[in-house]
Amino acid sequence: MKKRLLFVLSFVLIFSMFLTACQPEEVEEVVEEVVEEVVEEPEVEEPEVEEPEEEPVAAGPDLDPADVAASLPREETLYIAGLQWSAVVGWNPYSSANNNAMGVAAGSNARVPIFETPYMYNMINGEQIPLLADGDWEWNEDMTEATFKIKEVAKWSDGTPVTAEDVAYTWATHVKYETTAGVGYGEYIETVEAVDPLTVVVKAKLDEEGKAVNPLLVRAYISSEYVVQKAWTETLEARAGGDATAFKEDPAMDFVSSGPYTKFYDDDQKVVFIRDDNYWGQDASMFGSLPVPKYLAHTIYADNNAGFLALKAGEVDVSQQFNANVQDLWLVDNLPISTWMDDAPYGLTASLPTAYFNLESYGLDNIAVRKAIAYAVDYDTIIANAMTNQSPTFDQVPRSVMNPTAGEQALYDQAAVADLQWVGNDIEGAKAILDEAGIVDTDGDGWRELDGQKLSYNAVCPNGWSDWQAAMEIVAAAGEKIGIEITTLYPEWGVYQTVFVNGDQQEYDIFMVWSDGAGPTQPWGRVRQLMYSKFAETQGNWNGNWGGYINPRIDEIITEIPATTDQARLVELYTEATEIYLTDIPSFTLMYRPDQFYTVNESVWTNYPSADDGRNIPPMNLLDGYSIAGLYELELVNP
Amino acid sequence: MKGYLKYFSGKLAWFLVTLVAAFILNFILPRLMPGDPVAIITQRVVQGMTSQAGVQKVYEQYAELFGTNKPIHEQFIIYMRNIVQGNFGLSFSQYPRPVADILKSSIWWTIALQFPAIIVGWLLGNTLGALAAYLKKGFDKVLMPISIFISNLPAFGMAVILLVIFAVRLKWFPTAGGYGFDMIPNFSWDYIKSVLIHYQLPFWSIVLISIGGQAIGMRAMSIYELNADYVKYSRFLGIKDRKIIGYVFRNAMLPQITGLALSIGTMVGGALVAEIIFSYPGLGSTLLTAVMGQDYPLISASTLIITLMVLIANFLIEILYGVIDPRIKAAQIE
Repeated sequence: MKKRLLFVLSFVLIFSMFLTACQPEEVEEVVEEVVEEVVEEPEVEEPEVEEPEEEPVAAGPDLDPADVAASLPREETLYIAGLQWSAVVGWNPYSSANNNAMGVAAGSNARVPIFETPYMYNMINGEQIPLLADGDWEWNEDMTEATFKIKEVAKWSDGTPVTAEDVAYTWATHVKYETTAGVGYGEYIETVEAVDPLTVVVKAKLDEEGKAVNPLLVRAYISSEYVVQKAWTETLEARAGGDATAFKEDPAMDFVSSGPYTKFYDDDQKVVFIRDDNYWGQDASMFGSLPVPKYLAHTIYADNNAGFLALKAGEVDVSQQFNANVQDLWLVDNLPISTWMDDAPYGLTASLPTAYFNLESYGLDNIAVRKAIAYAVDYDTIIANAMTNQSPTFDQVPRSVMNPTAGEQALYDQAAVADLQWVGNDIEGAKAILDEAGIVDTDGDGWRELDGQKLSYNAVCPNGWSDWQAAMEIVAAAGEKIGIEITTLYPEWGVYQTVFVNGDQQEYDIFMVWSDGAGPTQPWGRVRQLMYSKFAETQGNWNGNWGGYINPRIDEIITEIPATTDQARLVELYTEATEIYLTDIPSFTLMYRPDQFYTVNESVWTNYPSADDGRNIPPMNLLDGYSIAGLYELELVNP
Repeated sequence: MKGYLKYFSGKLAWFLVTLVAAFILNFILPRLMPGDPVAIITQRVVQGMTSQAGVQKVYEQYAELFGTNKPIHEQFIIYMRNIVQGNFGLSFSQYPRPVADILKSSIWWTIALQFPAIIVGWLLGNTLGALAAYLKKGFDKVLMPISIFISNLPAFGMAVILLVIFAVRLKWFPTAGGYGFDMIPNFSWDYIKSVLIHYQLPFWSIVLISIGGQAIGMRAMSIYELNADYVKYSRFLGIKDRKIIGYVFRNAMLPQITGLALSIGTMVGGALVAEIIFSYPGLGSTLLTAVMGQDYPLISASTLIITLMVLIANFLIEILYGVIDPRIKAAQIE
């Protein structure tokens, strides 16, 4: 008996050891994969190059990940956190489904370490700074065509020059395969043409009067969308055989790009990019040098907390996570960690998380009810608790449709709307508004009625979005203080986002949605998002005006702004929009929030961009738009 | 022999019936969740897109691609056809990555973490429980309260305690990941060492929890058996103590084996807590992301694997029982 038991036990032990041994086996597999990947690369990066002016230089890593051996040199690697939350799927610049947050993310502040846009957007001042483009772009007289030149020194990773034809072909491909960019900009851009090898003309779609449908979107396109190599695009097309789905599904492991970094290694736990030491941007006409870190790495953490612990441990250099009470990291823990600013609000806030009133809910079509709720909410507490003071208060930046950046604040006349800009926590004022409107508690149950019906609402946001949930609790508390019953409701995000996007939904009364941050179409885009009537009538509406607000005047303003170049007129229009917004209160801003959170650890790298350092580099992970300039400024703490 | 055959074929029939039922449920249940996965993908893809018609178009493209606009029975037929060909389809949340690829890259981490942890926990727990029942006195008095205390700690509690003490405070072990944050997987001693160091906390967070429960169960069973009539009778006959204890533990072991089979079958779900708290790669966290993202194909495939593991484990145990304990087979074929 004993022998038999011993036999079973030893069998089990040996079996478990065998299984544990699976790990190194898998490791081998991974390494093999990597090696294969790297070996593959040169072979695909020999597209039929048109007029090769130079010997094509092999792109990508000249180093094998296996040679770097077990570890990336700490002093050559910049670790980023908060962007990538699961494994990278692809590298296809025509696809929006790469799940490649550190590498491929076109948009208002397009991420440019791998693929590049003609211009980089700088959210601090709204400027578009030439990247692939040479000098500023120009409108023609009618504002229907935008023209820019491509830098002569701009090269692809295979050594061939970037040409105007590449820019034109990229757009044609977006349209042909109905990519997100093609569909999204299709209403505003007619064609992109190469006039000569270096000159690009973007022609706007015209309305019946022969004016550009929306010049702002043309302006946005040239700093938001990547330029992709024509020759490589043709390779991709050939592989997809003309099928649009196959074209967009292709993971594009063989991509050719123009940026300073390229892929090096990725698995379920991390993504690593390596610097392309032949990067054209080291030319004196661009950055004048290579970016300092040789590697950019992003560990994939399970959640915010894991990323936070890693930041504290010095395993993360740049964190794009919301870290509650961020100041404790240097004040209490004495860590060499800092943010954009040393004092609250610590970051550069650019977006306006907003609570929408569902105007179809009983009583919320009544301005007195909306106004009373908005006046009663204690925003200071929201900012102190939910945001741990990482937002300016509404005393510091009075509410409007603008974000707190100086560029946007200058676009409206604050004095003209000062009377309308409530600060909040005004319980008595809110009660007076309701009393005056005859909305009182008639049956003595403690809750007010409108025409005999009790006012009762839910305040909704997705479950697990803790700062938003804290904000909704404070909205509910405000309701109780003024005699309006507000209960909180936190559905899962998957459910939430299928309900609030439907214009006729009856389930959510007061619900939170983010707002547009900074970008070349702002603050116009935000005004449109907050109030444009057209959105109110649509199902599956991801664009805005989720409460269903209708106002023909605001629609006129939204139509007029994009074509307006006169600064004084613009200020007039934005001031009027603000006035309408603060008078009708179809929704109300709860706090300000950065586009990207920005906390940096200076145990290995230093000289990060910060406010008032005079460099004007925006705090966006050192990857987005002009913030990539920060990568050229980094210095080692111990050189 | 005929009896065995009847017993096995009966079990096999039930196994197949359960498998079919589970297969259908695996398909239907995720799709009954409120919400719309295509809307989630659309939202992710159209960020910053200003054209409303464009957004609609993107939505329709994805609905068509994933077939979510087709009636559910058609979707089921497509699903069946694909599964038969060993094709789990494309993941929604990590589109266009194939589900099989996602599972392949995560399942080994889970098995390598969970299987040894479950076995070690089971062995240690049972040994301790049996010893407690046999030695009684001091050993039992110390072991029991500790076991009860530990086994009642929720798994995430244990994981967080280990994390805070050994990783955050003492800094003996890393806080996250399956290997060093600064490493590239590589067949070198440094890398293996890094994997082993990262392995420790998740491993012990599972082992410690299971030791307590196993020990309590084994102790109770052993005490019951030690007081059974056959033990008294054997003692009365003068059979040696060691021989008796052999019988006792063999009998006490039976329910523990069922427990072991079940925990092996459900190890994917069990790995979830350790995987999340230690940011450890594996199927548990994959399944969680799949559920949050309403990734039907990935949920169905993961649950199918879990179902198969549970069913196979159960089936094997039933077969093994038939061999180990003739009473069970006898009772079933009558």
